[in-house]
Amino acid sequence: MIEDDPDIRGLLVHVLAKQGFEVTQAGAGLPGIEEVRRARPDLVTLDLNLPDLDGLEVCRLLREFSDAFIVMLTARTDELDKLAGLDNGADDYISKPFSPKELQSRINALFRRRQSRPVDSAVANDLERATEVQQSLLPKEDVRVDGYDLAGAFRPSRNVGGDFYDWYRSPDGLHLTFADAMGKGMGAALIAATVRAVMRSTSRREDLDGAFTAASTAIATDLDSSSSFVTLFHARLDAASGTVNYVDAGHGLALHVQAGGTVRRLPSGGPPVGAWAGSTWPQSTLTLAPGDALVVVSDGVLDVFDSVEAFTEAVLLATHGQKSARAASDAILSLAPADTAEDDVTAVVVRRLRDQAVA
Amino acid sequence: MEFSYEIKDSYAEVKANGRLNMVSAPKLREFVTDVIAGGSSRIVVNLENTAFMDSSGLGALIGCLKAARQAGGDLRIAAVQPQVKMVLELTSMDRVLTSYASAEEAFSHD
Repeated sequence: MIEDDPDIRGLLVHVLAKQGFEVTQAGAGLPGIEEVRRARPDLVTLDLNLPDLDGLEVCRLLREFSDAFIVMLTARTDELDKLAGLDNGADDYISKPFSPKELQSRINALFRRRQSRPVDSAVANDLERATEVQQSLLPKEDVRVDGYDLAGAFRPSRNVGGDFYDWYRSPDGLHLTFADAMGKGMGAALIAATVRAVMRSTSRREDLDGAFTAASTAIATDLDSSSSFVTLFHARLDAASGTVNYVDAGHGLALHVQAGGTVRRLPSGGPPVGAWAGSTWPQSTLTLAPGDALVVVSDGVLDVFDSVEAFTEAVLLATHGQKSARAASDAILSLAPADTAEDDVTAVVVRRLRDQAVA
Repeated sequence: MEFSYEIKDSYAEVKANGRLNMVSAPKLREFVTDVIAGGSSRIVVNLENTAFMDSSGLGALIGCLKAARQAGGDLRIAAVQPQVKMVLELTSMDRVLTSYASAEEAFSHD
């Protein structure tokens, strides 16, 4: 309690002690600062009108080392002082004369606010863990497939959007999974983790339809309780022929970029997994000719554009003529500026090399 | 995002104004659930003033559709704006969530 008027000081001590605080006091600014340094209080009441220092200056000095609540007391009631008081790091402001009740309720309000702080940190903690989960889902090492150049790029958003991609060698070439779980945060990250595990578990099944049906059934059962869904693109590449068999459940942002500079967007074959009971997803096929690329992009990139057509054109421009799949995937990510993107952005490029040695 | 509703002859029209995202999606769910609980299970969600919808928003519409069907009714959407239409098409959810040019048309043929 930093207050030069002994009567008011006595009143404050009385009111606060009654509220259960242990109170120490000082009659001027400099001794007050010393006392705060020593006692490390939770709350400081600070008179604006002190004999040695201006109260605002005391407040500023206290803020250099203390995060105690600071309630400023003053008889100067004009608005400017009020704002100045708050800008100097004060948490509240009470004008004299004040009623003990008012003081008590203001102080209670401050401490209630502090109690709600752990909630914020729990949210931050959740996001931090969600980010870890999400990062752990991404392929750890590069996968090499003869005759192909592969790259994946991923940039998480602050909110953790639930994007991930996964790929691994198969006897014939490559399996690729690209997914985006609904929502954000830990919920989305956990769904993504489930999807990755389930898709991997079906990788040994040779027929894609059977594998996808089994996987989507398992995922949908899991999602039912959370009334959530996941968009899922899964492709299997036969490296020798360039044949790609794929299933698209509600993603719709995979592109076949042809060597000649044309592009075809692959429409989704059905709703996202978990969105609608009884959905089925037809298998489709495309062939990657030398120089062609399969490019899969997340909706975080789409958000930057007004239409799917504009998005498709931009991805084509970012991809076509790049020296490597890595350069292409990086260029796609940079279509969504990092400082404004609200969602994760992800891009995977599977390019069949042009000058392939013929065996 | 703000919601309002109006009981018409054969359906309830729910108007959703604003961005349908992670913040507003649960509110839409709650709002439509209340409308259904109030006895109206034939619902048109008028999206004339919804310029943006994300995946959470789509999830809310799906949840509302399921709830309406479970109550023996249906949920249809009207006056869908370009970005929302794009999301529905990309995700193939336009096959499930039927959209109409106006709220009046949504239940006019059955």
